Amino acid sequence: MPKIHRKRVGFKLDMTPMVDVGFLLLTFFMLTTQFKPSEDIQITLPTSHSAFKIPPADVITLTVGKDGQILLGLDSQILREALFGPAARLKAGVFVQTSELTNLLIQARTRNPKLKTVIKADKDAEYGVIEDVMTILQKVNITRFNLVTDLEKN
Amino acid sequence: MAEVDVSQSRGKSKHSKKKKRRVGVRIDMTPMVDIAFLLLTFFMLTTTMNKPQAMEINLPPGDQKVDVPASNLMTLRITEDGSIFWNIGEEKPAKATPVELKNLLKEKNRANPKLITLIKVDRKGKYIMMVDIMDELNLADITRFSLAPFLPADKALIEKI
Repeated sequence: MPKIHRKRVGFKLDMTPMVDVGFLLLTFFMLTTQFKPSEDIQITLPTSHSAFKIPPADVITLTVGKDGQILLGLDSQILREALFGPAARLKAGVFVQTSELTNLLIQARTRNPKLKTVIKADKDAEYGVIEDVMTILQKVNITRFNLVTDLEKN
Repeated sequence: MAEVDVSQSRGKSKHSKKKKRRVGVRIDMTPMVDIAFLLLTFFMLTTTMNKPQAMEINLPPGDQKVDVPASNLMTLRITEDGSIFWNIGEEKPAKATPVELKNLLKEKNRANPKLITLIKVDRKGKYIMMVDIMDELNLADITRFSLAPFLPADKALIEKI
């Protein structure tokens, strides 16, 4: 009888390992999380089976919206400031016209020749705009670039 | 007050005080752990692990021209409404569904390994059509393809059917 009584009175669970694991996961998620930069246009990516990874740094992102707007994005703040002035420092991208694009691309690439080009277009964008962009890329000698797609499941 | 205490009985009280402090330092960790788990759930729920994938395209430099015999050239024309027309050489373009196209590509490339595919998408067509076609080509292991502008002549050719 006294035995049972004792057990009921003091029930203690050592939480230390759980808390340790909790903190471990917390640090992991905190360090791996990259907050999505707020996008000026909503993009629905097309899907494909291609599993090619996008380069993590030194990229020029050409975002083409549903209505054909073109947004030129650079991942380096310094480069952005040099090209578009101090106001663009904190913006992810700047709307550009196709006519300006040639010059901007050349400028960006002379400042950082390692830049890789990525086209991120909405799946419902008109092909004509993409064709124009690709023609410009070909003209400025960017013959290798990537098209961003979502991975198709199946 | 405490100082007075200490001065009155130096040795003993000092010792006993120190000892007591050292023995029992207990901080209640519960609030910290609570916050930590709160943050953990937040980060776990907001993290999306999938990174977008990409397709690689290599364009030939602008001034390069390659002559291809017409019999080795398969042309895929994608019209404004998304229908696909294909032909080899000077044949008449025929319509194909995306599923038919998949088999067609494999079959024709097996029959003629030198076949080069030319993709022409109408400027008013959708971007996803191009991506889909390129995806099909990639899946069929066809690496020799190129993109060409969809000219009015192409439109006329298809309208004739």
